[in-house]
Amino acid sequence: MTFWRHVRYGVLNSGGSLDGRLLAIAWRGHYLHVTETSVILALVVVTALGFDFTNGFHDTANAMATSIATKALRPKVAVALSGILNLVGAFLSVEVALTVSNAVVKIQDKSGAPKAELLADGGTALLLIVLAGLVGGIIWNLLTWLLGLPSSSSHALFGGLIGATIAGLGWAGVNWNGDGSKLDGVIGKVILPAIMSPVIAGVVAAVGTWLIYRITVGVAARFTDNGFRWGQIGSASLVSLAHGTNDAQKTMGVITLALIAAGDWDDTGSIPFWVKAACALAIAAGTYLGGWRIIRTLGKGLVEIAPPQGLAAESASAAVILASSHLGFALSTTHVATGSILGSGVGKPGAQVRWRVAGRMVAAWLITLPAAAVVGALMWWIGHGLGDGLVGSLAVFVILLAAATFMYLRSRRTPVDHNNVNDEWDDARPPADRVPAESAH
Amino acid sequence: MHNLGFALEGAWKVLAAGLVLGAGLPALFALGIRTLAWGDGGAAEADASAAPHAAGKVLGWVLFAVVLLGVLLGITFIVASGLGKALSFEHVFPTIVDK
Repeated sequence: MTFWRHVRYGVLNSGGSLDGRLLAIAWRGHYLHVTETSVILALVVVTALGFDFTNGFHDTANAMATSIATKALRPKVAVALSGILNLVGAFLSVEVALTVSNAVVKIQDKSGAPKAELLADGGTALLLIVLAGLVGGIIWNLLTWLLGLPSSSSHALFGGLIGATIAGLGWAGVNWNGDGSKLDGVIGKVILPAIMSPVIAGVVAAVGTWLIYRITVGVAARFTDNGFRWGQIGSASLVSLAHGTNDAQKTMGVITLALIAAGDWDDTGSIPFWVKAACALAIAAGTYLGGWRIIRTLGKGLVEIAPPQGLAAESASAAVILASSHLGFALSTTHVATGSILGSGVGKPGAQVRWRVAGRMVAAWLITLPAAAVVGALMWWIGHGLGDGLVGSLAVFVILLAAATFMYLRSRRTPVDHNNVNDEWDDARPPADRVPAESAH
Repeated sequence: MHNLGFALEGAWKVLAAGLVLGAGLPALFALGIRTLAWGDGGAAEADASAAPHAAGKVLGWVLFAVVLLGVLLGITFIVASGLGKALSFEHVFPTIVDK
């Protein structure tokens, strides 16, 4: 009570330049002066960590859906193991590429520093693009999670950034096709890998599954059960570790870019330690929370997974992810994992693959990038329409909070958690369809 | 469409590496399980009257060790690239080099 009586807010417009506009927060007579840019920067950082968190729970399924479905690991143990390995993986990212968004949008130069023309107003122009893009990515991630669809978090992030960039800088602000010297641009770095990686992973997993079944036919269950259990745990752990290194980096790069734009960091060769620690914790916490709806779809909805298939699928995912990053071939963990699980269904003689579920996933993949782009663009227009500054950014942030709350409440109607994640898959009514059709109040 | 060319070039390599490591290693692992069962003989095998083979146990663990080496290679790669290094196969066996 006493605290609030002593808190006073006020915006002092000292006229003229944006930097001169100070937000004064008084607390017990101590005035803390922060510029408008710092408040927007704080919003960007919080939103980026929020995206990292959704990235974590959206992708738990990629590594752990098979081990949970085959009961190689208890659900809670699986998400804890995956969370820890994501944390370790994220801390391993010593050399973070600041230029991660250069593949799709032109808001930075080659060194990773923001383009000078975007820094005119204390960096707010760039911060708004990044904020709107992140919000686009989060909203799409939450919606697909609500529907239990394993869509790519990287596509959601890139889509959001592309949309916000188109809105803010026009079509020419997007790096569509690269410059022809290497695999680059939206086509080369996002679209082509998205088409190819699930097919490659699927072929590898199908071959692996077929071989494993051929080799172990007739062997007593006490040998195969234990063997495949450890094989699955090992391969799924490898996928988790690789995920932590790959995905947390993207958010680290985005936050550092925002810090540079706001003038709070000036080294394009390294990132602040707190950024790394915060991103690592956010992605690990998200992973531990577990996107149970997506785990259920991947583990039970697509294929009824048996332990040999689980081993084949996760080994294929790990090998394809590592081989591609070795060759500088960027791809989405989600696409690889889904392709592998499908492949393990194709490779097992007599196994059933629910192609209808697979079709829904592919549809979600196709619209992830454009849908996140539309949300990102809308957010930018809202922020821009409200004057590009603090008010616009706050409005975008409030919209994000409202959308997140709405989708969370909606998910409580048909909760999926570690208790019912392995329930029998009812073909006629997959979980997403069980969401009541009437609108929420 | 230069990008398509680059992508296909990369895709073949990923597919080849994926088949060797992602399907080959699990197949070796399965072979290890099979060999262990063969070493145990009797009810463990498809043919319940099979005699135990001492060599099966040794061979089975050798196969597991090969798989484990493959996994360690994967972990080394993740750690090395996280630290800004690269894994080179120039001298056949993998070595960690600067990027």
